[in-house]
Amino acid sequence: MTTSSNPAPSPAIDVAGVRFAYDDTVAVDDVSFSVPSGEILGFLGPNGAGKSTTIKMLTGQLNPDAGTIEILGMNMPGQRETIQARLGVCFEEKNLYLSMTGGENLVFFAKLFGIRDFTPEPLMERVGLSARLDDRVSEYSKGMRQRLMMARALINTPDVLLLDEPTNGLDPVSAIGIRDLIRGEADRGAAVVLTTHDMHEADTLSDRVAFINQGTILTIDTPDNLKLAHGQRSVRIRTRDGDGVDELVIPLDGAGAGDRIKDAVSAEGLMTIHTEEATLEDIFVEYAGRGLAG
Amino acid sequence: MTGSRIAAIIGKDLREFSRNRFFVFITLLVLVAYVAVFWFLPDSVDETVRIGVSNTVLNTDVGGVTESGTAGFALEIYASEEELQTAVEEGRDGIVAGIAFPPDFLASTAAGETPTVRLLIPAGLPPEIQLLLEGAVSEIAFGIAGVAPPVDPITKAVVLGTDRAGNQISLREQMLPMILIMVLMVETFALSSLIAVEVQQRTVVAILATPVRIVDFLAAKGIFGVGLALSEVVLLGLLIGAFAVNAPAVFVILLLGAVLVTGFGMIAGSYGRDFMGTLLVSMLFMIPLMIPAFGALFPGSSPTWVKVLPTYGLVEALIDVTADGESWSQIAPSLLLLAAWGLAAFAAGAFILKRRVATL
Repeated sequence: MTTSSNPAPSPAIDVAGVRFAYDDTVAVDDVSFSVPSGEILGFLGPNGAGKSTTIKMLTGQLNPDAGTIEILGMNMPGQRETIQARLGVCFEEKNLYLSMTGGENLVFFAKLFGIRDFTPEPLMERVGLSARLDDRVSEYSKGMRQRLMMARALINTPDVLLLDEPTNGLDPVSAIGIRDLIRGEADRGAAVVLTTHDMHEADTLSDRVAFINQGTILTIDTPDNLKLAHGQRSVRIRTRDGDGVDELVIPLDGAGAGDRIKDAVSAEGLMTIHTEEATLEDIFVEYAGRGLAG
Repeated sequence: MTGSRIAAIIGKDLREFSRNRFFVFITLLVLVAYVAVFWFLPDSVDETVRIGVSNTVLNTDVGGVTESGTAGFALEIYASEEELQTAVEEGRDGIVAGIAFPPDFLASTAAGETPTVRLLIPAGLPPEIQLLLEGAVSEIAFGIAGVAPPVDPITKAVVLGTDRAGNQISLREQMLPMILIMVLMVETFALSSLIAVEVQQRTVVAILATPVRIVDFLAAKGIFGVGLALSEVVLLGLLIGAFAVNAPAVFVILLLGAVLVTGFGMIAGSYGRDFMGTLLVSMLFMIPLMIPAFGALFPGSSPTWVKVLPTYGLVEALIDVTADGESWSQIAPSLLLLAAWGLAAFAAGAFILKRRVATL
């Protein structure tokens, strides 16, 4: 009989006790989290909460004042260049070369990653821009630029993907396409950290979400766990009663809840059935004492 | 690997530059316009002072000095005083002033009288020319009267600096450093604009999220800036014949000049907020840097403080080589001064740009 002595694989991203201040203003304080390969961690918080500062420290743009950052088992910023070769970043600002075509932008960044014989067509195809490959980026719409940003983040088939508001400014159809792309990258094995204002995005896309406010992580958990922990386990059923509407709230934890729901649903005049699950924003407000807007 | 990344950034910059219609237009315009201006400028200096003389008395050579160009002094003979006056007023025949001898000049002289000779001087004539005229009157009068001057002192001239007598620097030669420096300045603006756009659109942040190091980025900008400025100024130099004398020295001077302006281009690009802001910051550097070149147009007019300007060594070295044909050893002090300023400006530019990028 043999026993496996392999240690548990280290997380792709491991952040411990990180702090960063812009002069006297503390932007991030004692932030710790880890992200294993194949997981999507959503950073949820209002403007100025510390999301982008955290991303900047992960990309090597900022050096933490305290704490440690390990990415793929290497120290950031100590092994910055080695890590960056395996990192894909989608910035909040659309920092593309406007006088160059979409294809030229991708080829240029491929050269910076040291990728030889790079052809941009497959990536442009993935983000739905193959028809605009040879158009200058100055002629792209805001949404098209965002999709090109996403394509640029995938040039080096990254092991770690850092996405700052990746669907910001996109129409719903394009946003769905980008979310599918992100999910595909996680399924491929990339560890993904994304920041967002969008609760729906955080809810549907993230395996776990981290609430961040005033530079501090308030909690990290799966969306389902957070909703279970903070929402009400009940069903609200509305039925038509003559000219009026009857509303029935059935707690799921009580005895006979199943029978009561079955009776209500089989009754005539059924209009709507809703769970009383809390939204992520409700839970964020509960933690932070403020909403996500602003 | 670092080299290929630097090459990629330079290639990208070159592509952006070539697609910017404004930069391409300005670059071509500067080349064509400066070359045209240069070749239209006179390439020789006429050092002869021409003076009109009304000779109603004699039709002979006035004192033997009417031969044009003799000792830098030539006389034009006019039949009457009225004709002479009109010629002076209209600046005809290149004369700067006139000497009107009275019709009875010979008779009065022969009778031992003192005749009055009228000097016709246009407004604005420099006083030294007026003194020259008064001396010329005596010379011509002695020549006509056939009497030797009463005093004949021995004179010995000591020339301070390069003796340019008979070999004055032409306007074309004087303009040469100015034209070359103007081209370097234009490319300073082009580089600063490209850097400003990179900073403002934060594309540099995307570059630095790849394995490119900040030192690679700075090296790429430096090489591109120096290459851009040097290639254009060398091309212009070839078109205007700047390499006719000691071409290697001229090339080294222009190379150091390109390093100097690239440093200032990096500084201007770091502070420029938009096109107009970058233009304004660039002008703040360009105007003082042009002063030594203006000084070269008017030799002896520059105050001492001009020597502390970074382009002073550049202008001095260029004039010394292209106009005076000086050797390496003779231009060494100017070259060392230029090299010191070039390295200082480049280091300052790289440092400021690095700090600017770190704040993004």
